Amino acid sequence: MSVLAGREAAGGAPEPGDLLEGTEWVAAPPSARSRARPAFGAALRIAAPPLLAAALALTLWEAWVRAFEVREYLVPAPSAVLRALAADPARYLGAARVTLAHALGGLAVGAGSAFLLAVVMAHSRPLERALYPLAILVKVTPVVAVAPLFLIWFGFNAWPKVLVAALITFFPMLVNAVTGLRSVEPAAFDFLRALDASRWQLFWKLRLPSSLPYVLAALRISVPLAVIGAVVAEWFAADTGVGQIIVIANGELDTPTLFAAVLVLALIGVTLTLAIAYIEHRVLFWHESSTGV
Amino acid sequence: MTTVIGVPAVRVRGLSHRYRGDGGPLLALAGVELEVGAGEFVALVGPSGCGKSTLLRVVAGLLEVSGGAVDVLAGSATAARAGHRVGLVTQEPGLLPWRTVAGNIALPLEVTGARADVDALLARVGIAAFARYHPHELSGGMRQRVALARALAHGPRLLLMDEPFGSLDEFAREAMGRELLRIWERDRVSVLFVTHSIREAVLLADRVLVMSAAPGRIVAELPVHLPRPRPRALDETPEFAALLHRVREALGGAP
Repeated sequence: MSVLAGREAAGGAPEPGDLLEGTEWVAAPPSARSRARPAFGAALRIAAPPLLAAALALTLWEAWVRAFEVREYLVPAPSAVLRALAADPARYLGAARVTLAHALGGLAVGAGSAFLLAVVMAHSRPLERALYPLAILVKVTPVVAVAPLFLIWFGFNAWPKVLVAALITFFPMLVNAVTGLRSVEPAAFDFLRALDASRWQLFWKLRLPSSLPYVLAALRISVPLAVIGAVVAEWFAADTGVGQIIVIANGELDTPTLFAAVLVLALIGVTLTLAIAYIEHRVLFWHESSTGV
Repeated sequence: MTTVIGVPAVRVRGLSHRYRGDGGPLLALAGVELEVGAGEFVALVGPSGCGKSTLLRVVAGLLEVSGGAVDVLAGSATAARAGHRVGLVTQEPGLLPWRTVAGNIALPLEVTGARADVDALLARVGIAAFARYHPHELSGGMRQRVALARALAHGPRLLLMDEPFGSLDEFAREAMGRELLRIWERDRVSVLFVTHSIREAVLLADRVLVMSAAPGRIVAELPVHLPRPRPRALDETPEFAALLHRVREALGGAP
Protein backbone atom coordinates (compact mmCIF):
# COMPACT_ATOMS: atom_id res chain seq x y z
CA MET A 1 0.00 0.00 0.00
CA SER A 2 1.19 3.48 -0.80
CA VAL A 3 0.88 4.43 2.86
CA LEU A 4 4.00 2.49 3.47
CA ALA A 5 5.84 3.88 0.50
CA GLY A 6 7.62 6.34 2.73
CA ARG A 7 8.97 9.76 2.12
CA GLU A 8 11.67 8.87 -0.35
CA ALA A 9 9.18 8.73 -3.17
CA ALA A 10 8.26 12.37 -2.66
CA GLY A 11 11.81 13.45 -3.28
CA GLY A 12 11.76 16.99 -2.05
CA ALA A 13 9.44 19.59 -0.67
CA PRO A 14 8.15 21.60 -3.58
CA GLU A 15 6.38 24.87 -3.31
CA PRO A 16 4.55 25.10 -6.60
CA GLY A 17 3.54 28.69 -6.98
CA ASP A 18 0.30 29.99 -8.32
CA LEU A 19 -0.79 28.87 -11.71
CA LEU A 20 0.85 30.85 -14.41
CA GLU A 21 -0.81 32.28 -17.43
CA GLY A 22 -1.06 30.20 -20.56
CA THR A 23 -3.29 27.32 -21.38
CA GLU A 24 -0.59 24.89 -22.46
CA TRP A 25 1.64 25.71 -19.57
CA VAL A 26 3.16 22.63 -18.07
CA ALA A 27 4.27 22.99 -14.52
CA ALA A 28 7.79 22.00 -13.62
CA PRO A 29 8.62 21.16 -10.04
CA PRO A 30 11.07 23.50 -8.36
CA SER A 31 14.51 22.17 -7.64
CA ALA A 32 14.08 19.67 -4.88
CA ARG A 33 15.43 20.76 -1.56
CA SER A 34 16.65 17.67 0.19
CA ARG A 35 14.43 16.76 3.09
CA ALA A 36 17.33 15.85 5.35
CA ARG A 37 16.73 13.05 7.79
CA PRO A 38 17.54 13.90 11.35
CA ALA A 39 21.27 13.16 11.38
CA PHE A 40 23.21 11.78 14.32
CA GLY A 41 24.15 15.29 15.40
CA ALA A 42 20.53 16.40 15.42
CA ALA A 43 19.51 13.33 17.41
CA LEU A 44 22.22 14.15 19.92
CA ARG A 45 20.95 17.73 20.24
CA ILE A 46 17.47 16.40 21.01
CA ALA A 47 18.66 13.72 23.43
CA ALA A 48 21.35 15.73 25.24
CA PRO A 49 19.20 17.99 27.52
CA PRO A 50 17.10 15.19 29.09
CA LEU A 51 20.19 12.98 29.45
CA LEU A 52 22.07 15.77 31.18
CA ALA A 53 19.11 16.43 33.48
CA ALA A 54 18.93 12.74 34.37
CA ALA A 55 22.66 12.57 35.05
CA LEU A 56 22.42 15.60 37.32
CA ALA A 57 19.45 14.15 39.22
CA LEU A 58 21.27 10.82 39.70
CA THR A 59 24.39 12.56 40.95
CA LEU A 60 22.41 14.61 43.48
CA TRP A 61 20.54 11.48 44.58
CA GLU A 62 23.78 9.55 45.09
CA ALA A 63 25.30 12.46 47.01
CA TRP A 64 22.21 12.83 49.19
CA VAL A 65 22.12 9.12 50.12
CA ARG A 66 25.84 9.09 50.95
CA ALA A 67 25.91 12.38 52.83
CA PHE A 68 22.92 11.61 55.05
CA GLU A 69 23.50 7.86 55.22
CA VAL A 70 19.97 7.11 54.12
CA ARG A 71 19.09 3.50 54.86
CA GLU A 72 19.18 1.26 51.83
CA TYR A 73 15.78 -0.35 52.42
CA LEU A 74 14.22 3.13 52.33
CA VAL A 75 16.02 4.72 49.39
CA PRO A 76 18.98 2.95 47.81
CA ALA A 77 21.65 4.96 46.04
CA PRO A 78 21.75 4.71 42.22
CA SER A 79 25.02 2.83 42.61
CA ALA A 80 23.27 0.23 44.80
CA VAL A 81 20.58 -0.17 42.15
CA LEU A 82 23.26 -0.67 39.52
CA ARG A 83 24.96 -3.25 41.72
CA ALA A 84 21.68 -5.12 42.03
CA LEU A 85 21.32 -5.10 38.24
CA ALA A 86 24.91 -6.17 37.69
CA ALA A 87 24.63 -8.99 40.26
CA ASP A 88 22.30 -10.99 38.01
CA PRO A 89 21.72 -9.33 34.63
CA ALA A 90 20.36 -12.56 33.13
CA ARG A 91 17.53 -12.56 35.66
CA TYR A 92 16.41 -9.04 34.70
CA LEU A 93 16.87 -9.65 31.01
CA GLY A 94 14.85 -12.87 31.16
CA ALA A 95 12.10 -11.22 33.21
CA ALA A 96 12.03 -8.21 30.87
CA ARG A 97 11.65 -10.52 27.89
CA VAL A 98 8.74 -12.33 29.53
CA THR A 99 6.98 -9.09 30.56
CA LEU A 100 7.53 -7.62 27.11
CA ALA A 101 5.99 -10.73 25.53
CA HIS A 102 2.98 -10.50 27.88
CA ALA A 103 2.51 -6.79 27.16
CA LEU A 104 2.85 -7.17 23.39
CA GLY A 105 0.65 -10.25 23.36
CA GLY A 106 -1.97 -8.35 25.34
CA LEU A 107 -1.67 -5.39 23.00
CA ALA A 108 -2.15 -7.66 19.98
CA VAL A 109 -5.19 -9.39 21.48
CA GLY A 110 -6.77 -6.30 23.07
CA ALA A 111 -6.08 -3.66 20.44
CA GLY A 112 -6.61 -6.19 17.64
CA SER A 113 -10.04 -7.30 18.83
CA ALA A 114 -10.97 -3.68 19.62
CA PHE A 115 -10.09 -2.67 16.07
CA LEU A 116 -12.18 -5.47 14.57
CA LEU A 117 -15.11 -4.48 16.77
CA ALA A 118 -14.57 -0.84 15.77
CA VAL A 119 -14.88 -1.82 12.10
CA VAL A 120 -18.28 -3.36 12.85
CA MET A 121 -19.39 -0.41 14.97
CA ALA A 122 -18.22 2.18 12.44
CA HIS A 123 -20.50 0.59 9.84
CA SER A 124 -23.61 0.30 11.97
CA ARG A 125 -25.03 2.88 14.38
CA PRO A 126 -27.44 0.37 16.00
CA LEU A 127 -24.57 -2.02 16.72
CA GLU A 128 -22.53 0.86 18.05
CA ARG A 129 -25.35 1.80 20.43
CA ALA A 130 -25.74 -1.83 21.51
CA LEU A 131 -22.06 -2.50 22.15
CA TYR A 132 -20.82 0.81 23.46
CA PRO A 133 -22.19 0.41 27.02
CA LEU A 134 -20.47 -2.98 27.25
CA ALA A 135 -17.22 -1.41 26.14
CA ILE A 136 -17.58 1.24 28.84
CA LEU A 137 -18.18 -1.53 31.37
CA VAL A 138 -14.86 -3.05 30.35
CA LYS A 139 -13.25 0.35 30.66
CA VAL A 140 -14.43 1.17 34.18
CA THR A 141 -13.57 -2.27 35.60
CA PRO A 142 -10.27 -1.95 37.51
CA VAL A 143 -7.79 -4.51 36.18
CA VAL A 144 -6.48 -5.02 39.71
CA ALA A 145 -9.86 -6.53 40.54
CA VAL A 146 -9.94 -8.75 37.48
CA ALA A 147 -6.38 -10.06 37.60
CA PRO A 148 -6.93 -12.57 40.46
CA LEU A 149 -10.07 -13.81 38.73
CA PHE A 150 -8.20 -14.43 35.49
CA LEU A 151 -5.58 -16.30 37.49
CA ILE A 152 -8.25 -18.64 38.87
CA TRP A 153 -9.77 -19.16 35.43
CA PHE A 154 -6.66 -19.60 33.33
CA GLY A 155 -4.05 -20.81 35.80
CA PHE A 156 -0.34 -20.15 36.10
CA ASN A 157 0.58 -19.57 32.51
CA ALA A 158 0.84 -16.66 30.07
CA TRP A 159 -2.92 -16.26 29.55
CA PRO A 160 -3.91 -14.28 32.65
CA LYS A 161 -1.10 -11.78 31.93
CA VAL A 162 -1.92 -11.46 28.25
CA LEU A 163 -5.63 -11.08 28.94
CA VAL A 164 -5.22 -8.44 31.65
CA ALA A 165 -2.97 -6.47 29.30
CA ALA A 166 -5.55 -7.01 26.55
CA LEU A 167 -8.38 -5.78 28.75
CA ILE A 168 -6.61 -2.56 29.62
CA THR A 169 -5.73 -1.74 25.99
CA PHE A 170 -9.14 -2.59 24.59
CA PHE A 171 -11.05 0.62 25.22
CA PRO A 172 -8.56 3.25 23.99
CA MET A 173 -8.25 1.40 20.69
CA LEU A 174 -12.00 0.92 20.35
CA VAL A 175 -13.01 4.59 20.74
CA ASN A 176 -10.12 5.87 18.66
CA ALA A 177 -10.62 3.38 15.85
CA VAL A 178 -14.37 4.07 15.63
CA THR A 179 -13.64 7.80 15.43
CA GLY A 180 -10.85 7.21 12.92
CA LEU A 181 -12.89 4.93 10.67
CA ARG A 182 -15.61 7.60 10.59
CA SER A 183 -13.21 10.44 9.94
CA VAL A 184 -13.27 10.09 6.16
CA GLU A 185 -13.22 13.28 4.15
CA PRO A 186 -16.72 13.82 2.71
CA ALA A 187 -15.42 14.92 -0.71
CA ALA A 188 -13.30 11.78 -1.07
CA PHE A 189 -16.22 9.67 0.11
CA ASP A 190 -18.60 11.25 -2.44
CA PHE A 191 -16.07 10.82 -5.22
CA LEU A 192 -15.76 7.10 -4.53
CA ARG A 193 -19.50 6.68 -4.11
CA ALA A 194 -20.13 8.42 -7.43
CA LEU A 195 -17.94 5.67 -8.92
CA ASP A 196 -20.18 3.08 -7.27
CA ALA A 197 -17.33 1.86 -5.07
CA SER A 198 -18.27 -1.14 -2.96
CA ARG A 199 -18.22 -1.09 0.85
CA TRP A 200 -15.13 -3.22 0.66
CA GLN A 201 -13.37 -0.75 -1.63
CA LEU A 202 -14.47 2.17 0.53
CA PHE A 203 -13.02 0.39 3.55
CA TRP A 204 -9.64 -0.52 2.07
CA LYS A 205 -9.02 2.57 0.01
CA LEU A 206 -10.52 5.23 2.27
CA ARG A 207 -11.65 4.26 5.76
CA LEU A 208 -8.69 2.17 6.83
CA PRO A 209 -5.97 4.64 5.79
CA SER A 210 -8.04 7.54 7.18
CA SER A 211 -8.19 5.80 10.55
CA LEU A 212 -4.41 5.32 10.85
CA PRO A 213 -3.65 8.59 12.69
CA TYR A 214 -6.24 7.62 15.31
CA VAL A 215 -5.15 3.99 15.50
CA LEU A 216 -1.52 4.94 16.01
CA ALA A 217 -2.49 7.51 18.65
CA ALA A 218 -4.42 4.75 20.41
CA LEU A 219 -1.35 2.50 20.26
CA ARG A 220 0.74 5.25 21.80
CA ILE A 221 -1.73 5.41 24.72
CA SER A 222 -2.05 1.62 24.97
CA VAL A 223 1.61 0.63 25.06
CA PRO A 224 2.31 1.80 28.64
CA LEU A 225 -1.08 0.49 29.71
CA ALA A 226 -0.23 -2.96 28.35
CA VAL A 227 2.96 -3.01 30.42
CA ILE A 228 0.93 -2.05 33.52
CA GLY A 229 -1.57 -4.83 32.82
CA ALA A 230 1.15 -7.44 32.30
CA VAL A 231 2.97 -6.49 35.50
CA VAL A 232 -0.21 -6.42 37.61
CA ALA A 233 -1.07 -9.95 36.48
CA GLU A 234 2.51 -11.17 37.00
CA TRP A 235 2.42 -9.65 40.46
CA PHE A 236 -0.67 -11.65 41.39
CA ALA A 237 0.64 -14.89 39.92
CA ALA A 238 4.19 -14.27 41.15
CA ASP A 239 5.50 -16.95 38.81
CA THR A 240 7.30 -15.06 36.01
CA GLY A 241 8.32 -11.68 34.69
CA VAL A 242 9.29 -8.40 36.24
CA GLY A 243 6.14 -8.56 38.36
CA GLN A 244 7.54 -11.64 40.10
CA ILE A 245 10.84 -9.89 40.85
CA ILE A 246 8.86 -7.05 42.45
CA VAL A 247 6.84 -9.40 44.66
CA ILE A 248 9.90 -11.31 45.87
CA ALA A 249 12.02 -8.20 46.43
CA ASN A 250 9.15 -6.57 48.28
CA GLY A 251 8.85 -9.55 50.62
CA GLU A 252 12.57 -9.41 51.40
CA LEU A 253 12.66 -5.61 51.77
CA ASP A 254 15.26 -5.74 48.99
CA THR A 255 14.71 -2.16 47.84
CA PRO A 256 17.66 -1.95 45.41
CA THR A 257 16.19 -4.89 43.46
CA LEU A 258 12.79 -3.23 43.59
CA PHE A 259 14.28 -0.12 42.04
CA ALA A 260 16.10 -2.20 39.46
CA ALA A 261 12.79 -3.83 38.48
CA VAL A 262 11.15 -0.42 38.14
CA LEU A 263 14.03 0.73 35.97
CA VAL A 264 13.59 -2.30 33.72
CA LEU A 265 9.89 -1.51 33.35
CA ALA A 266 10.64 2.12 32.52
CA LEU A 267 13.09 1.01 29.84
CA ILE A 268 10.49 -1.33 28.32
CA GLY A 269 7.95 1.51 28.26
CA VAL A 270 10.37 3.98 26.68
CA THR A 271 11.49 1.49 24.03
CA LEU A 272 7.93 0.64 23.01
CA THR A 273 6.87 4.30 22.95
CA LEU A 274 9.85 5.19 20.74
CA ALA A 275 8.99 2.31 18.42
CA ILE A 276 5.42 3.60 18.03
CA ALA A 277 6.68 7.14 17.46
CA TYR A 278 8.97 5.83 14.73
CA ILE A 279 6.12 3.93 13.04
CA GLU A 280 3.93 7.04 13.24
CA HIS A 281 6.65 9.11 11.63
CA ARG A 282 7.04 6.62 8.78
CA VAL A 283 3.40 5.85 8.12
CA LEU A 284 1.78 9.24 8.72
CA PHE A 285 4.07 11.37 6.58
CA TRP A 286 0.94 12.71 4.88
CA HIS A 287 -0.92 13.66 8.03
CA GLU A 288 -0.96 17.20 9.40
CA SER A 289 0.67 15.95 12.59
CA SER A 290 3.74 15.30 10.44
CA THR A 291 3.50 18.04 7.84
CA GLY A 292 3.17 20.74 10.45
CA VAL A 293 0.18 22.44 8.86
CA MET B 1 -36.74 25.26 -22.57
CA THR B 2 -34.35 24.65 -25.39
CA THR B 3 -34.92 21.28 -26.92
CA VAL B 4 -31.71 19.36 -27.14
CA ILE B 5 -31.14 17.30 -30.25
CA GLY B 6 -30.15 13.66 -29.78
CA VAL B 7 -30.13 11.79 -26.49
CA PRO B 8 -29.41 14.31 -23.75
CA ALA B 9 -26.75 13.57 -21.14
CA VAL B 10 -29.05 14.74 -18.39
CA ARG B 11 -32.83 15.18 -18.41
CA VAL B 12 -34.58 16.26 -15.24
CA ARG B 13 -38.36 16.57 -15.16
CA GLY B 14 -40.49 17.93 -12.32
CA LEU B 15 -37.86 17.20 -9.74
CA SER B 16 -38.65 18.02 -6.15
CA HIS B 17 -36.71 17.15 -3.07
CA ARG B 18 -37.55 17.45 0.57
CA TYR B 19 -35.08 17.26 3.43
CA ARG B 20 -36.35 15.98 6.74
CA GLY B 21 -35.07 18.80 8.91
CA ASP B 22 -35.42 19.17 12.67
CA GLY B 23 -37.91 21.98 12.20
CA GLY B 24 -40.11 19.94 9.85
CA PRO B 25 -39.55 18.96 6.23
CA LEU B 26 -37.69 21.46 4.11
CA LEU B 27 -38.48 21.78 0.42
CA ALA B 28 -35.06 22.10 -1.23
CA LEU B 29 -36.09 21.68 -4.86
CA ALA B 30 -39.51 22.27 -6.42
CA GLY B 31 -40.33 21.37 -10.01
CA VAL B 32 -36.85 21.60 -11.48
CA GLU B 33 -36.70 21.12 -15.26
CA LEU B 34 -33.28 20.73 -16.75
CA GLU B 35 -31.51 19.31 -19.76
CA VAL B 36 -27.86 18.94 -20.66
CA GLY B 37 -27.24 17.93 -24.28
CA ALA B 38 -24.59 15.47 -25.35
CA GLY B 39 -21.30 17.37 -25.40
CA GLU B 40 -22.89 20.48 -24.00
CA PHE B 41 -21.41 22.67 -21.26
CA VAL B 42 -24.17 23.90 -18.97
CA ALA B 43 -23.58 26.18 -16.01
CA LEU B 44 -25.95 26.41 -13.08
CA VAL B 45 -25.84 29.65 -11.10
CA GLY B 46 -27.82 30.72 -8.09
CA PRO B 47 -27.56 32.11 -4.60
CA SER B 48 -26.13 29.88 -1.91
CA GLY B 49 -28.68 27.53 -0.45
CA CYS B 50 -30.76 27.38 -3.64
CA GLY B 51 -30.26 23.64 -3.99
CA LYS B 52 -27.63 23.65 -6.77
CA SER B 53 -25.48 21.14 -4.96
CA THR B 54 -28.50 19.01 -4.06
CA LEU B 55 -29.45 18.91 -7.72
CA LEU B 56 -25.93 17.86 -8.67
CA ARG B 57 -25.91 15.11 -6.05
CA VAL B 58 -29.18 13.81 -7.42
CA VAL B 59 -27.73 13.64 -10.94
CA ALA B 60 -24.60 11.93 -9.55
CA GLY B 61 -26.85 9.26 -8.06
CA LEU B 62 -25.75 10.12 -4.52
CA LEU B 63 -29.19 11.23 -3.36
CA GLU B 64 -32.61 9.63 -3.75
CA VAL B 65 -35.18 12.19 -4.79
CA SER B 66 -38.63 12.70 -3.32
CA GLY B 67 -40.34 13.21 -6.66
CA GLY B 68 -39.81 13.67 -10.38
CA ALA B 69 -37.86 11.94 -13.10
CA VAL B 70 -34.10 12.00 -13.58
CA ASP B 71 -32.48 10.50 -16.66
CA VAL B 72 -28.71 10.39 -16.88
CA LEU B 73 -27.13 9.16 -20.13
CA ALA B 74 -30.38 7.52 -21.19
CA GLY B 75 -30.89 5.59 -17.96
CA SER B 76 -31.41 6.23 -14.29
CA ALA B 77 -28.90 8.19 -12.25
CA THR B 78 -28.13 5.00 -10.32
CA ALA B 79 -27.48 3.09 -13.54
CA ALA B 80 -25.14 5.82 -14.80
CA ARG B 81 -23.30 5.66 -11.49
CA ALA B 82 -23.10 1.87 -11.58
CA GLY B 83 -21.82 2.05 -15.18
CA HIS B 84 -19.03 4.41 -14.11
CA ARG B 85 -20.11 6.95 -16.69
CA VAL B 86 -20.02 9.98 -14.43
CA GLY B 87 -17.06 11.94 -13.06
CA LEU B 88 -17.32 14.21 -10.04
CA VAL B 89 -15.29 17.27 -9.08
CA THR B 90 -16.20 19.12 -5.89
CA GLN B 91 -15.01 22.30 -4.22
CA GLU B 92 -12.88 20.35 -1.79
CA PRO B 93 -10.71 18.20 -4.06
CA GLY B 94 -11.05 15.20 -1.74
CA LEU B 95 -7.71 13.71 -2.73
CA LEU B 96 -6.27 10.89 -0.67
CA PRO B 97 -3.38 12.54 1.17
CA TRP B 98 -1.43 9.29 1.60
CA ARG B 99 -1.32 8.70 -2.15
CA THR B 100 0.89 10.44 -4.65
CA VAL B 101 -0.64 12.49 -7.45
CA ALA B 102 -0.29 9.49 -9.79
CA GLY B 103 -1.78 7.22 -7.11
CA ASN B 104 -4.77 9.51 -6.73
CA ILE B 105 -5.40 9.47 -10.47
CA ALA B 106 -5.11 5.69 -10.47
CA LEU B 107 -7.81 5.45 -7.78
CA PRO B 108 -10.85 5.53 -10.13
CA LEU B 109 -9.10 2.98 -12.36
CA GLU B 110 -8.69 0.62 -9.41
CA VAL B 111 -12.30 1.07 -8.38
CA THR B 112 -13.88 0.75 -11.82
CA GLY B 113 -11.42 -1.64 -13.44
CA ALA B 114 -11.04 0.78 -16.33
CA ARG B 115 -7.66 1.18 -18.01
CA ALA B 116 -6.01 4.46 -18.81
CA ASP B 117 -2.54 5.91 -19.17
CA VAL B 118 -1.98 7.82 -15.93
CA ASP B 119 1.02 9.68 -17.35
CA ALA B 120 -1.04 10.86 -20.31
CA LEU B 121 -3.79 12.07 -17.97
CA LEU B 122 -1.23 13.97 -15.92
CA ALA B 123 0.17 15.58 -19.02
CA ARG B 124 -3.32 16.50 -20.17
CA VAL B 125 -3.93 18.67 -17.11
CA GLY B 126 -0.35 19.97 -17.09
CA ILE B 127 0.98 18.27 -13.97
CA ALA B 128 3.18 15.55 -15.47
CA ALA B 129 6.17 16.72 -13.44
CA PHE B 130 4.28 16.30 -10.16
CA ALA B 131 3.36 12.63 -10.51
CA ARG B 132 5.27 11.53 -7.42
CA TYR B 133 4.34 14.40 -5.14
CA HIS B 134 1.77 14.19 -2.40
CA PRO B 135 -1.27 16.49 -2.22
CA HIS B 136 0.00 18.38 0.81
CA GLU B 137 3.00 19.47 -1.24
CA LEU B 138 0.82 21.13 -3.90
CA SER B 139 -0.99 24.46 -4.16
CA GLY B 140 -4.79 24.64 -4.23
CA GLY B 141 -4.87 25.08 -8.01
CA MET B 142 -2.60 22.08 -8.50
CA ARG B 143 -4.80 19.95 -6.30
CA GLN B 144 -7.83 20.85 -8.41
CA ARG B 145 -5.91 19.84 -11.54
CA VAL B 146 -5.31 16.48 -9.92
CA ALA B 147 -9.01 16.26 -9.00
CA LEU B 148 -9.93 17.06 -12.61
CA ALA B 149 -7.56 14.43 -14.02
CA ARG B 150 -8.91 11.94 -11.50
CA ALA B 151 -12.51 12.67 -12.49
CA LEU B 152 -11.64 12.10 -16.16
CA ALA B 153 -9.46 9.03 -15.63
CA HIS B 154 -12.10 6.34 -16.12
CA GLY B 155 -13.47 8.01 -19.25
CA PRO B 156 -16.84 9.38 -18.05
CA ARG B 157 -19.36 10.75 -20.52
CA LEU B 158 -20.68 13.31 -18.05
CA LEU B 159 -18.64 15.56 -15.81
CA LEU B 160 -20.40 16.96 -12.76
CA MET B 161 -18.64 19.90 -11.17
CA ASP B 162 -19.76 21.46 -7.91
CA GLU B 163 -18.07 24.86 -7.49
CA PRO B 164 -14.78 23.20 -8.41
CA PHE B 165 -12.77 26.41 -8.35
CA GLY B 166 -14.68 27.99 -5.47
CA SER B 167 -11.84 27.91 -2.98
CA LEU B 168 -9.15 29.13 -5.40
CA ASP B 169 -7.84 32.66 -5.65
CA GLU B 170 -8.77 34.82 -8.65
CA PHE B 171 -5.66 33.97 -10.70
CA ALA B 172 -5.84 30.23 -10.19
CA ARG B 173 -9.56 30.34 -10.83
CA GLU B 174 -9.16 31.99 -14.24
CA ALA B 175 -6.32 29.70 -15.23
CA MET B 176 -8.28 26.63 -14.19
CA GLY B 177 -11.31 27.80 -16.17
CA ARG B 178 -9.22 28.12 -19.31
CA GLU B 179 -7.58 24.78 -18.60
CA LEU B 180 -10.97 23.15 -18.23
CA LEU B 181 -12.18 24.60 -21.55
CA ARG B 182 -9.03 23.44 -23.32
CA ILE B 183 -9.58 19.88 -22.09
CA TRP B 184 -13.31 20.01 -22.75
CA GLU B 185 -12.91 21.31 -26.31
CA ARG B 186 -10.90 18.24 -27.15
CA ASP B 187 -13.15 15.58 -25.60
CA ARG B 188 -16.52 17.29 -25.51
CA VAL B 189 -17.80 15.36 -22.55
CA SER B 190 -21.07 16.79 -21.28
CA VAL B 191 -20.57 19.11 -18.34
CA LEU B 192 -22.94 20.29 -15.64
CA PHE B 193 -21.09 23.04 -13.81
CA VAL B 194 -22.44 24.50 -10.59
CA THR B 195 -21.04 27.88 -9.57
CA HIS B 196 -21.98 31.02 -7.71
CA SER B 197 -19.82 33.13 -10.00
CA ILE B 198 -21.83 34.69 -12.82
CA ARG B 199 -18.62 35.62 -14.66
CA GLU B 200 -17.37 32.06 -14.53
CA ALA B 201 -20.70 30.71 -15.77
CA VAL B 202 -20.82 33.02 -18.80
CA LEU B 203 -17.13 32.56 -19.56
CA LEU B 204 -17.33 28.77 -19.66
CA ALA B 205 -20.80 27.58 -20.62
CA ASP B 206 -22.89 27.10 -23.73
CA ARG B 207 -25.96 27.76 -21.66
CA VAL B 208 -26.49 29.33 -18.24
CA LEU B 209 -29.35 28.20 -16.03
CA VAL B 210 -30.36 30.54 -13.23
CA MET B 211 -31.78 29.09 -10.04
CA SER B 212 -33.80 30.76 -7.33
CA ALA B 213 -33.71 29.89 -3.67
CA ALA B 214 -36.22 28.43 -1.22
CA PRO B 215 -37.47 26.31 -2.84
CA GLY B 216 -34.90 25.87 -5.60
CA ARG B 217 -36.09 25.97 -9.15
CA ILE B 218 -34.82 27.20 -12.50
CA VAL B 219 -36.10 30.69 -13.25
CA ALA B 220 -34.15 31.59 -16.38
CA GLU B 221 -32.19 30.02 -19.17
CA LEU B 222 -29.67 32.02 -21.18
CA PRO B 223 -27.89 30.63 -24.24
CA VAL B 224 -24.36 31.97 -24.49
CA HIS B 225 -23.59 32.68 -28.14
CA LEU B 226 -19.94 33.50 -27.76
CA PRO B 227 -17.19 32.13 -30.01
CA ARG B 228 -15.30 28.96 -29.15
CA PRO B 229 -12.54 28.53 -28.30
CA ARG B 230 -13.25 31.46 -26.04
CA PRO B 231 -10.85 34.31 -26.82
CA ARG B 232 -8.64 35.64 -24.07
CA ALA B 233 -10.09 39.15 -23.80
CA LEU B 234 -13.66 37.90 -24.02
CA ASP B 235 -14.64 39.43 -20.69
CA GLU B 236 -13.86 42.92 -22.08
CA THR B 237 -16.36 42.68 -24.94
CA PRO B 238 -19.80 44.32 -24.84
CA GLU B 239 -21.45 40.96 -25.68
CA PHE B 240 -19.98 39.47 -22.54
CA ALA B 241 -21.05 42.45 -20.46
CA ALA B 242 -24.59 42.21 -21.87
CA LEU B 243 -24.83 38.52 -20.96
CA LEU B 244 -23.50 39.19 -17.49
CA HIS B 245 -26.14 41.85 -17.09
CA ARG B 246 -28.92 39.52 -18.20
CA VAL B 247 -27.87 36.79 -15.75
CA ARG B 248 -27.75 39.36 -12.94
CA GLU B 249 -31.20 40.57 -13.85
CA ALA B 250 -32.54 37.01 -13.84
CA LEU B 251 -31.02 36.43 -10.43
CA GLY B 252 -32.37 39.71 -9.10
CA GLY B 253 -35.78 39.08 -10.57
CA ALA B 254 -36.02 35.70 -8.88
CA PRO B 255 -38.75 35.83 -6.26
